[in-house]
Amino acid sequence: MADATHADPDHAHADTAHAGLSLVACALWIALPASVLAAVLWLATHGPLPVAVSRDWVPALGVSFAFRIDGLSLMMLLLISGIGVAVFSYAGAYMAGDPKQVRLYGLLTAFMLAMAGAVTADDVILLFLFWEATSILSFLLVGLKHDKPEARKSAQQALLVTGTGGLALLAGLLILVQQFGTTQLSAIVAGMADSGPTPLSNAALLLIFVGCFTKSAQFPFHFWLPNAMAAPTPVSAYLHSATMVKLGVFLLARFDAGAGEWPLWTMLLQAVGSITAAWGMTLALSERDLKRILAWSTVATLGTLVVLVGLPGPEASLAVGSLLLAHALYKAPLFFVAGNVDHGAGTRIIDNLGNLRRSMPLTAVAAALAGLSMAGLPLSFGYVVKVVTYEAKAVEGVLTWVPLANQIFTALAVAVAGTAAIRLFWWNPGGVEAPAAHECSWGMVLPPLVVAGAGLVLGFYPGIVTELLLGVAGAMETTRPGVVALPTPAEQLNPADIWGTVGATLLAGGFILYFWDFLHRVLMRPFAVVARMGARAFFDASLAALPRIAARVTRGLQHGNGPRYMMLAVVATLAALAAVLPRALADVALPVWEAPSAGLATGVAMIVAGAVAVLLLRDRFVLILAAGLVGYGSAVVFLFLGAPDVAFTQFVVETVFVIIAAAVLIALRGGGKAQVHADRSMPVALLLAGALASAVTALLVAVIARPFDPVLSDYFGSVSVPEAFGRNVVNVILVDFRAVDTLGEITVIALSFMAALPLLQRLMASTADIATQAGGRRVVMLDVVAGPLYRVILIASIVVYFRGHNEPGGGFIGGLLAVTATILWAIAHGSRAAEARLPFGNALVLTAAGFGLGAAAGLPAWLYGLPYMTHLWATIPLGITDLKVSTVYLFDLGVYLAVWGGLGGYVLHLLGRMRQDDREGSVT
Amino acid sequence: MTWTLVAAIWATLFAGITLLLSRDLLRAILGSMILGSAVNLMIFAAGRVGPSGPAIVPYGTQALAEGSANPLPQALVLTAIVIGLALACFAFVLIQGIVTATGTADSTRLRIAEPLPDHPYYPPHPGPDDGGPSPAATEAARPVAAEAPR
Repeated sequence: MADATHADPDHAHADTAHAGLSLVACALWIALPASVLAAVLWLATHGPLPVAVSRDWVPALGVSFAFRIDGLSLMMLLLISGIGVAVFSYAGAYMAGDPKQVRLYGLLTAFMLAMAGAVTADDVILLFLFWEATSILSFLLVGLKHDKPEARKSAQQALLVTGTGGLALLAGLLILVQQFGTTQLSAIVAGMADSGPTPLSNAALLLIFVGCFTKSAQFPFHFWLPNAMAAPTPVSAYLHSATMVKLGVFLLARFDAGAGEWPLWTMLLQAVGSITAAWGMTLALSERDLKRILAWSTVATLGTLVVLVGLPGPEASLAVGSLLLAHALYKAPLFFVAGNVDHGAGTRIIDNLGNLRRSMPLTAVAAALAGLSMAGLPLSFGYVVKVVTYEAKAVEGVLTWVPLANQIFTALAVAVAGTAAIRLFWWNPGGVEAPAAHECSWGMVLPPLVVAGAGLVLGFYPGIVTELLLGVAGAMETTRPGVVALPTPAEQLNPADIWGTVGATLLAGGFILYFWDFLHRVLMRPFAVVARMGARAFFDASLAALPRIAARVTRGLQHGNGPRYMMLAVVATLAALAAVLPRALADVALPVWEAPSAGLATGVAMIVAGAVAVLLLRDRFVLILAAGLVGYGSAVVFLFLGAPDVAFTQFVVETVFVIIAAAVLIALRGGGKAQVHADRSMPVALLLAGALASAVTALLVAVIARPFDPVLSDYFGSVSVPEAFGRNVVNVILVDFRAVDTLGEITVIALSFMAALPLLQRLMASTADIATQAGGRRVVMLDVVAGPLYRVILIASIVVYFRGHNEPGGGFIGGLLAVTATILWAIAHGSRAAEARLPFGNALVLTAAGFGLGAAAGLPAWLYGLPYMTHLWATIPLGITDLKVSTVYLFDLGVYLAVWGGLGGYVLHLLGRMRQDDREGSVT
Repeated sequence: MTWTLVAAIWATLFAGITLLLSRDLLRAILGSMILGSAVNLMIFAAGRVGPSGPAIVPYGTQALAEGSANPLPQALVLTAIVIGLALACFAFVLIQGIVTATGTADSTRLRIAEPLPDHPYYPPHPGPDDGGPSPAATEAARPVAAEAPR
């Protein structure tokens, strides 16, 4: 990160006061949120809302850079920029001299922009990106002190919980995009209001709930927020109190206008929110760290916000806006206070703190101001919220336990406020005082004072924010509510209320505050029991189980056992075939039985005999011969079914194959290295093979049973002579109509040989030159015959190549015949000698030349403006007869040479190996 | 005619797949070659069998005569046979290399690339032979046991 490089040189001077940023640099950083705040305030007072801008981003997917600012966005922007100014100012003093200060400022700024984007995005994909950006920045900010394991663990936990929720959110949003055909958020919300609940949109809603609940630390995902308190105070105050954790509430509020009346919405939000509010606040009693106590109260407040979003009616929407604002105005200062206490007294553990008013008077004032609002005392904005919330819950459709949960919440809120404002500064039940406590610098005192003071001002003049709150309510309802009167100071001091509801809550809160330590001790044991089966324990267990499950899955699939991989492939193919076979075989007319010709019957008998033999035989030599029998049988079948070219090819290939396989086998046996025990999985293999063979055969029968479409075959049969001047249609297809395909095929042969060559040479490196040492075991007869036979075979192969265009034959068969000639020479005189007899004296060069010739034969067509590989013909008169010449012959010659070089090269190397072992006499 | 050919195809497929499922690399390669023969026969059969005259236009005429075999599958199969040989050669060279290097053709005993696990969930050590870090280096790169969950 760029910031880190800035900070690094300062690292050595971390203990000096000048290691951090100068005052001017801090001011520049603060100018950012301040200017945003100014813009937001201008918009709040001038601009007609909503404001919308849009630019195409990924038009193909309908994703755009669309932003829309309405009343709800404005409120969030106000919190982001307003609290932002306070946090940035506080960070200047809090992190003074810390080399991580620049990193903190950079991350906070990025976070602020991501937040601003998230609350104004009007495109769900864009919203999701900003949403995830806040999660990632939160991870980096919680882990700011990354040298501490605790910070790393908390950061990881926060990221995993919010990141998992983010994925659920994405799924939910995508369902909505599918359903409403747009990525525009405002259009989706409007569509939801029109369509009403459907199973699909309810499913989407549940997924979105998971995203919002994780982000806003709702039960059962509440546990990550207090752990995130490992972050520095400015981060806690900004992310984990005022802004990021409110993002979930914000998104719920965003959908309130669309789904606010749906049963799922009201029931689930009220239930989850109430549990979070009551249980989160109770968990504050389990803590001794002031910051964690405040964190739990934040969790509880978020729960209350979720309840309010879930309540029907405009009053509830009004309450959401007020509580959003009020909470930011008192909780951020309280976090600042916690930071000051930590800074000034050296600890945040409440047992070791007391009577801090003497040493930290200004912080005490700030705590008192914020505490007033948090406790909801009259003449604070917290009281206004209390009144509005009370009205919101007076409507129909409120779950019975919501008021009860709210009672617990408010009473404990008073106690938490008292802990922060009274116990620390005016009281000392623990009896221990921090001796060296001192007040903090102005930079750390002013932000909480100003923000908490603002909460008090709003208590006196709630009218200031009426318009803002109505804007929030307007965004959350389909129709904007009319004018609403927030309670004036005079109304707030109504004696009946003070001695009634307010008094009762205060009394309960005071009681809890007084017996805080006692309750803590009593409740520790039940807390511990719940913790063992709570969500946190589940999270930890999942985290521990993850690598084990991953390992099990990976090892189940990547077991390194070849036959089992193959079985998986067979089973998968079987499953795929099983899905299509019933339809493929439905109402087909099966071909009728005809007795085969004698030739065909012979071929099939050879194939079946070979197939049975390979299954029964164990000796590998015989096995190879049996496999060869299958090939020879195929050749016979081809011969008697009108395919002489294919038959000849197969005959030669099978012969070359048996020779090569035998050569390899001799080499392996020479080392005595290939002993394999009998397969225990043979019955399973037979079963699977039988099933797959039957399925594939059935598919083939289904194909054959359908009417034959002869259009292509007839086309090639009828244009072969008039257009390509060749009578052997098979050869014409190969070298003319489909010449580019054939070029690709000789490329495969060439590449196969080139790829094998390094390995071949390495295998040969251990063996000496065959040709010079092979003398000992020469077969004299072969020596005598080899010379003439070599020439005869080569001449035959050239004839076959030449006549291929009109008679059976061609480059492939000719090349294969040439390979047999090379085999003959290699057996008679050794591989080295055989290779020397090749054109160019080198198999690799021959292969490359063949490929090059084939590729070049297509080029002349370009001279005539024809497509590549269009063959050209010319007639050269010779008096008696005409000689027809064509690029076709060049191309087919290329095929001939490539086959000769590529396959011949293999043969030379492998035979060389065989003769080496042969000469050493290791074959018995 | 068709059914006779189909029977041969079934037998070839059966033998090929069975060999392919074998632990012995040589058998597996033979299996894939036999399977290749089966596929060639299938392509041939899918082009329909019946007329058994070669696909050659008789002199004096301009188009294939009635009773000529379908030339298209022949062209496909012809190149497939030659390429099949090239690939079989390649596979044989690989097997020879494997056996020379490891001393076995039993695919279940080839463990260089996929060694057996030696830890409940961390991946096994790559062997020093195949360019991986030494076992000691891998061990050092792992999180210490105390930090690993349970």
